[in-house]
Amino acid sequence: MNLKALLFCVPILFLAAMAFGQRAIVKGKITGQQSKEPLTGATVLLSGTNNSTITNLNGEYQFYVNSGNVNLTVRYLGFRDTTLTVNLKGGELKVLNVALSGRQQKLSDVTITGYTQGQAKALNQQKNADNIKNIIAADQIGRFPDPNAAEALQRVPGVNIERDQGEGRYVSVRGLAPQFTNTSINGEQIPSPEADVRFVALDAIPSDQLASIEVTKALTPDLDGDAIGGSINLITRTPQSSIPEISGSFGGGYNNLMGKSNLQGQLQYGQRFGKDEKLGLLLNSNYYHNDLGSDNVERSVADNELELRDYELTRTRLGLSSSLDYKFNNHHEIYLKGLYSRFTDREFRRAYVFAPEDEEIVKATKDRFESQSVISVNAGAKHTFKKFFLDYEAQYSYGEQNTPYDNEAEFIAGISSNIDFSNSRYPAFQAADYTNNSLYEFDAVGFGKTLAKDKNLTAKFNIGLPYKLGDNDGLIKFGAKARSKDKSYRIQQNTVENLGGVPTLDAFEEDPVKDEFFSGRYELGRPLNVTSLIGYYNANPGQFELQVEDKAIDEALESYTANEDVVAGYLMARQQIKKLMVLGGVRYEYTRVKYNSSDVVINEAGDLEDILPVSGSSTYDFILPQLHFKYELSKFSNLRAALTWSYARPNFSEIIPAQEINREDNVATVGNADLMPVSAINYDLMFERYFGSVGIVSAGLFHKKLDDFIYRRVLFNTSYPLTGPAAVTGIDVVQVQNGNAAQVTGLEFAFQRRLTLIPALKAFSLYLNYTYTHSKANIQSREATESDSNVQEEIRLPGQSANVGNASLGYEGKKLSLRTSINFSDKFLSEVGGSKAEDIYVKSRLQLDASASYALNKKIRLFTEVLNITNQPLQLYQGNKSQTIQREMYSFWTRFGVKFNL
Amino acid sequence: MKTLKYIFFASVILSMTACDKKNDNLIAPIVENDFPQILLLADEGDGELEDEDKFSFKITLADRKDPEGNELGGKIIPLEQDATVNFEVSDTKGFDAISSYILDAKAFYEIDDCTSSEDADIDLNMVFDARTGKGSVTFPKGVEEIEIEFETEASLFDDDVFNEEERGLEIKLSSVNAPGQNVVVNSSNVFEYRVLDDEGIYGEYELDIDDASQFQNYINLFGLVNEEVKGLSADDVEEIKIEFQYGELKALVVLKQTIQVSECGETETVNREIEIEADLEELEGDSLKGDLELVGEIEDDKGASKEFVYKGSFEVVSGALTLVLQGEFDDDETEEITLALSK
Repeated sequence: MNLKALLFCVPILFLAAMAFGQRAIVKGKITGQQSKEPLTGATVLLSGTNNSTITNLNGEYQFYVNSGNVNLTVRYLGFRDTTLTVNLKGGELKVLNVALSGRQQKLSDVTITGYTQGQAKALNQQKNADNIKNIIAADQIGRFPDPNAAEALQRVPGVNIERDQGEGRYVSVRGLAPQFTNTSINGEQIPSPEADVRFVALDAIPSDQLASIEVTKALTPDLDGDAIGGSINLITRTPQSSIPEISGSFGGGYNNLMGKSNLQGQLQYGQRFGKDEKLGLLLNSNYYHNDLGSDNVERSVADNELELRDYELTRTRLGLSSSLDYKFNNHHEIYLKGLYSRFTDREFRRAYVFAPEDEEIVKATKDRFESQSVISVNAGAKHTFKKFFLDYEAQYSYGEQNTPYDNEAEFIAGISSNIDFSNSRYPAFQAADYTNNSLYEFDAVGFGKTLAKDKNLTAKFNIGLPYKLGDNDGLIKFGAKARSKDKSYRIQQNTVENLGGVPTLDAFEEDPVKDEFFSGRYELGRPLNVTSLIGYYNANPGQFELQVEDKAIDEALESYTANEDVVAGYLMARQQIKKLMVLGGVRYEYTRVKYNSSDVVINEAGDLEDILPVSGSSTYDFILPQLHFKYELSKFSNLRAALTWSYARPNFSEIIPAQEINREDNVATVGNADLMPVSAINYDLMFERYFGSVGIVSAGLFHKKLDDFIYRRVLFNTSYPLTGPAAVTGIDVVQVQNGNAAQVTGLEFAFQRRLTLIPALKAFSLYLNYTYTHSKANIQSREATESDSNVQEEIRLPGQSANVGNASLGYEGKKLSLRTSINFSDKFLSEVGGSKAEDIYVKSRLQLDASASYALNKKIRLFTEVLNITNQPLQLYQGNKSQTIQREMYSFWTRFGVKFNL
Repeated sequence: MKTLKYIFFASVILSMTACDKKNDNLIAPIVENDFPQILLLADEGDGELEDEDKFSFKITLADRKDPEGNELGGKIIPLEQDATVNFEVSDTKGFDAISSYILDAKAFYEIDDCTSSEDADIDLNMVFDARTGKGSVTFPKGVEEIEIEFETEASLFDDDVFNEEERGLEIKLSSVNAPGQNVVVNSSNVFEYRVLDDEGIYGEYELDIDDASQFQNYINLFGLVNEEVKGLSADDVEEIKIEFQYGELKALVVLKQTIQVSECGETETVNREIEIEADLEELEGDSLKGDLELVGEIEDDKGASKEFVYKGSFEVVSGALTLVLQGEFDDDETEEITLALSK
């Protein structure tokens, strides 16, 4: 056995050998006296000791204690400590429900509702967690104007998001790109609907569907090990009491750029049934329809081209989730949780491309519909026995990205133009009569259709053995998991060109979608209507010529199937030693992957020579020791340290053995089925000081040492295939490979509290966080030549922003609440180019949002939100900051409506 | 009351689900197997010298995806049933009555390199009305291409003067009748037939190989793109010809060396030839002097193609052609070279 695994296993086995005393069980639910809401993350403490347990999302706890008279103290930020005495016989299970009253003496005139309540839930969980994590609760999410899970996550320290059309989509944690973070729903990983990646576009998940989001930054052995940046867990809602809970919201909004309204609604029903509330049912549904758009200008440095893009989009998000549970008695319960989310995106892109070198102007329109669906069903059970507890679960999850049509048409005019990029914000051009559609001749129209599927079947169990070592509580936990993943991607592409007779563009024009583009700086004329062109195509197919070879190449090169089986097991122990908590253990994960795709060979004449089926497979395993320390400096202060091992699997696009051998250009792009995951050792140190009036100040340091970092490598003048008999010699092979080391170091700071120290500002709260990261990775130098191919070059990690932060000032009155929020992310490397001058960066961005709500009564609240108030663009540059290559403007958009809780 | 709440709740969920449709104003394109077979003109045009008594055009099918996946670039998938294609002479130039030029028409197709449908007495039901210029022909099942040949009145245009005005005609496919089959025609494209004036640049010219400087000029000019031509001496060569055809130039060196050629079961001894072909990109064919540009491709041993270009001018005086050309190929170029040619 690996030495590091041995180091962690031996103490655990030693603990396991300890005798168990005469034990009893206390369990129950902690709620707020006024709100009747469950208090998540409350500490239930054995008075006079440091032995404690924590309430879960439903406010429930379970505590193994010695029999006899037991004094229990319940502690929760924002509430008074409550101590109760309970008498327990050996082997007995006693239910003790506690309703806590507010910390009135400190928070006079301030009610713990809404945002503060959410903040309290989150901070209590965070404070009492064994490992370093951040939690945001639903009430807290609801106070920020964040419609999807990605945007909700941007408020978490160390989290940065990548946006699409102004809306958050992908999440990066601690300076590492999205592929270094895994995403789960209710504790189990969900598949990515996208074809070539593992990570999930979180704009597909409406935030209204969630009870809370956890971002685990230091892994424990009972968590999946494939998360270097962090592990995101999206937790859906559960029923709480026999009183039917019907809550929801309805509203609309306005997008200023498009001059269009949007629509949203959410409805939730939850209730427990029966005399003992044994059966619980919760249904949640939400819908968000958003008409949006952007004005975009792009520059191609290599081709000296200028592109104007006018985007018009309609996006919808539909979320349905349900939870059904049955508690047979205090010992045994079963549950079934389901989630369905569907994100649709209809996109029109109307564009001009000015190409002075070719003396051409291209006018194009794209019309694409895409839906991303995620289904997740978890069925499981929890059992509490006298000496141990057991839980097990099976999960089926399925992600799909369906693009039933992706139609794009191009017309070309032989018009010469001059372009001038001296004003990087608004490049200039001169072109005579370029809006005259009768000058544009038909070039091509493409009809694409793709379907990406990803299915996971998972089964797992966990067993916990509580024990007592002297006066200190401990827990040994072990479990196992198996997951089978099937992923596939199918593509159908038909591109037709002019066989003769297709009219000029003026036969297919339509009215512009908006009055002005870039506030009237550029004139776009009347755009091309693809639907009209398709109507003509259907009526006159004899005028169109199918590009048969392109079809064969596109369909073969991108399609693939993959299968991945993962088996994992872990053993861990948690031991309280007075004020010190030690959690240690080891996780083992074994992965077997198989892939099938195609080789595409282009001959010297540039023609398709052959398409050959290829397949690849590999196996790898990891032993991942994890060690956590938490020292309680005081009732409200913790010092944490963690040493953890983790890894990140490569994206499917990098590992599938698809290959393109282009003998005309003498370059082969080859997949690498033997690509190993990136492994990492993570060091974490964190100080937290919580405020009894609900708040926190924390500071943390982290360092991640990555090995087998994945990078793109060019093997000059080599043979193809890379192993075995050479079919082609003297060819440059581009392949993603392992080999180089990388590291990320960072500092996290967070502060949030109500400003109760200043009486005049006691209704205000401040939310601040800031993360600094520094990274470096070594790759093959872009200057490398055939004779000098091992020269190295240091770059920063793609996706890593040096400075990321949030600032938010809120006012929480009895009826009125106001909040203004700023989210800042520094520039980051988006794409590693062929040379340093070709590296593409996303510029720094600061977004200002504001929200307000007014409570008409205890049940109904009006709300309004304004996003991107200062009209911050997305900007990319190539090589140096002055060379802007993309600038996309969205203007601001709003949402408003009513929220109710009947 | 409770029941009402539940009904309301269920209704809202259903209505939300119903909202999830965003495919307004969409027309699904016809693709894959729904995309029809297309009958079209095989070429954009052709031309013959003015004393020629026939010309032809071809009708073919557009390439489709090979269902068996053998031909990756696509191939012609023949029709499963016979179809009737209608065509018409859509324009004439230099004459008015079609019947004054077109005397007769016939249709056939190639069964193999040595046999045509005529040889096998297969009738394609060719009908052509020279008064209206309209005709029809059967495009048989299982066939990739058919050819329609017109017998023409050569004397209509054959004269001894240079004609600056254009002479010829245009042909279009007009419709197809293919019951039970998904077949359409491309009725937009035109086959242009041009009557080429042999008093102008068109026709075959000969270079005097006994003129050492002219022979060397030819070697220097076309040796740029052909290593074998570059190494030739006058003693190797029987004759050198340059022919200007419709849209292309053929530079032919006939060697003294002979070879055996077998074709359709017959073997004969012929002189070996080195042929260089190029497209006429720019040619002022309706005048006796002007500029011209020739573009061609050379394929290397591995199958890769490289383009060559010759630019220059021409002048025709009493049947004698003077070409002044400069060639560029693969980073090499020639001086401006003059060739003196005669008919």
